[in-house]
Amino acid sequence: MTQPVTIIMIEDDEGHARLIERNIRRSGVNNEIVSFPNGTEAMLHLFGADGSGLVQKGNALLILLDLNLPDMSGIDILRQIKENKYLKASPVVVLTTTDDSQEIKRCYELGCNVYITKPVNYENFANAIRQLGLFFSVIQVPPAAP
Amino acid sequence: MTAEAQRRRTFWQILLFAAGLLVLTGISAGSVYLVNKARDDNRWVVHTIEAENQINALLLEIRRAESAARGYLLTQEAVFKADHERAIAAMPPAFDKLTRLTVDNPVQRDSMAKLGPAIQTRLGQFRQEMSFIGQGQPDKAAAVVREVASTDATAEIAKIASGMILEEERLFRQRSENADRSQTFAASMTGIGSGLVVVLALISIWLVRRSTRARDEAETRLRDANFNLESIVDERTADLREANDEIQRFAYIVSHDLRSPLVNIMGFTSELEELSGDVFRRIGGLTQVPAGGPPLAPGAPGEIMLEGADKQLSDDVSEALRFIKTSIAKMDRLISAILNLTREGRREFQPVKIDTRELIEAIVSTLAHQAAEAQAQVHIEPLPDVVSDRLALEQIFSNLVDNAIKYLKPGVPGEIRIRGRTKLGYAIFEISDNGRGIDPKDHQRIFDLFRRAGTQDKPGQGIGLAHVRALVRRLGGTMSVSSELNAGSTFTITLPIAWNVKNRNADR
Repeated sequence: MTQPVTIIMIEDDEGHARLIERNIRRSGVNNEIVSFPNGTEAMLHLFGADGSGLVQKGNALLILLDLNLPDMSGIDILRQIKENKYLKASPVVVLTTTDDSQEIKRCYELGCNVYITKPVNYENFANAIRQLGLFFSVIQVPPAAP
Repeated sequence: MTAEAQRRRTFWQILLFAAGLLVLTGISAGSVYLVNKARDDNRWVVHTIEAENQINALLLEIRRAESAARGYLLTQEAVFKADHERAIAAMPPAFDKLTRLTVDNPVQRDSMAKLGPAIQTRLGQFRQEMSFIGQGQPDKAAAVVREVASTDATAEIAKIASGMILEEERLFRQRSENADRSQTFAASMTGIGSGLVVVLALISIWLVRRSTRARDEAETRLRDANFNLESIVDERTADLREANDEIQRFAYIVSHDLRSPLVNIMGFTSELEELSGDVFRRIGGLTQVPAGGPPLAPGAPGEIMLEGADKQLSDDVSEALRFIKTSIAKMDRLISAILNLTREGRREFQPVKIDTRELIEAIVSTLAHQAAEAQAQVHIEPLPDVVSDRLALEQIFSNLVDNAIKYLKPGVPGEIRIRGRTKLGYAIFEISDNGRGIDPKDHQRIFDLFRRAGTQDKPGQGIGLAHVRALVRRLGGTMSVSSELNAGSTFTITLPIAWNVKNRNADR
């Protein structure tokens, strides 16, 4: 039995969140999107009150992560997700405004699956998000670690 | 210590030295004179004693002759006669010697003149006595002796002789005093002179010590000042570095955070554009509904069919959106430029040995197409090699060569020349062209971020030279331009020949 993938969006900028959501929807992805405006709430949701990540065991997740969050660094969240045995299988898409090669390199080292810069050129951005939607629809999220 | 004080001190030292020399010379000359005088005086004292001695010797000879004559008279033995004759014979040489010794003194000369006849008289009497004794008439001889004793001849001699001795004694006293005085004088003169020299030497030592102390103090002050200066420079450098880091962080954060809202503005502008497309399509559909027919499907793709005022409205909206998008694109480019600059500012430099000529040839070959289009020739003269960051040097030279090709005079074949030389541990590079040149009032401005000069007929953000100058500074060098309008430009870059990590740390 396949479980529908839930998209977890950690993005503090409401406008960005709205644009991303809109573009995802426009590309025909209708999965549930759970949005968090800051890192703390997202961490609570992902790792649960005990911080073990047990709450998400067996859930198929796709995480959209902004690196610039008001309360914590997105890099930290990425590291914790990839170090958690229940969450590390979930694909993480990093979204950020800079195209700093150092930062991109660091994210890939930590295990991020896709890195997308939010370009100002909206056509490109929409395109990227749509492709991401396409990517979502074909991706086979592996079953979460037992 | 002022120069005036220094000069005064030197003057005093020279004066002291001269005084010491003068005193020494005086003492020497005085000593020589006084010693000569004392020797003279002593000779005179000896002379006096000699004269006195000679008088006594003469008197002794007379007395000896007298007593021998009396002995002969009494005993008539030949031994007395011989003794008498020896004494008589010794008398003339003694007299002559005395005459020589006393010739310098007029008083004694007079006395001698009187003594001579008196002695002759006495000698005559002796001869008379002796002849009487020889003829065997002792009575007559005794009578002569008695007569002589009663006459003044002997007394006369004794009187003159004692007068002469008195005179000589007077001279002896006087001459001894003279000699003593000369010696005392010489001694005291030497003493005073030596004392004076010692005093001068002491003053000299004091002066030298004082100037040594002053010099030591000045040295200490200088060392303190240097030390303070160094710590002040360190402090300021640290402050500047901190301020610079802060600006870099600030620029990075600002440009980074500015992009976030820009993404929204651009995104929703595009949304708005699509929405307005939808709205006008719908209006078009509504206005073009054939009477009584069903309305067209709203939002259907395809050309928007509008007429009159509606079309005008649609065009106005499109135009407004286009301006917004253009401005956003420009703002994005500026923010990207700032981001790139700050990123460059944070990049770690790697000093490596660079064949400058090869590096510039590579740059020129990548710009060959642009150069050919502008009919420009690039001449590379011999260049010094440097140890520096390769990427930074590539950016510096490619920006400058690119600028030189870009801003040539239209219609004039370009002539770009790259020269190099070394001076005092620095490599100096000059990139000169025969292009349009830069107005001197813009020389400072062209290095500012987002500022450009001259006719704005070429694409550009006004970033290149700001970036180049920032790189040159980080590499521990300097950069300048000399140019006139329509007379070409020369950009001069001075870089340390061997840049190392220490320079960088000092720079950051």
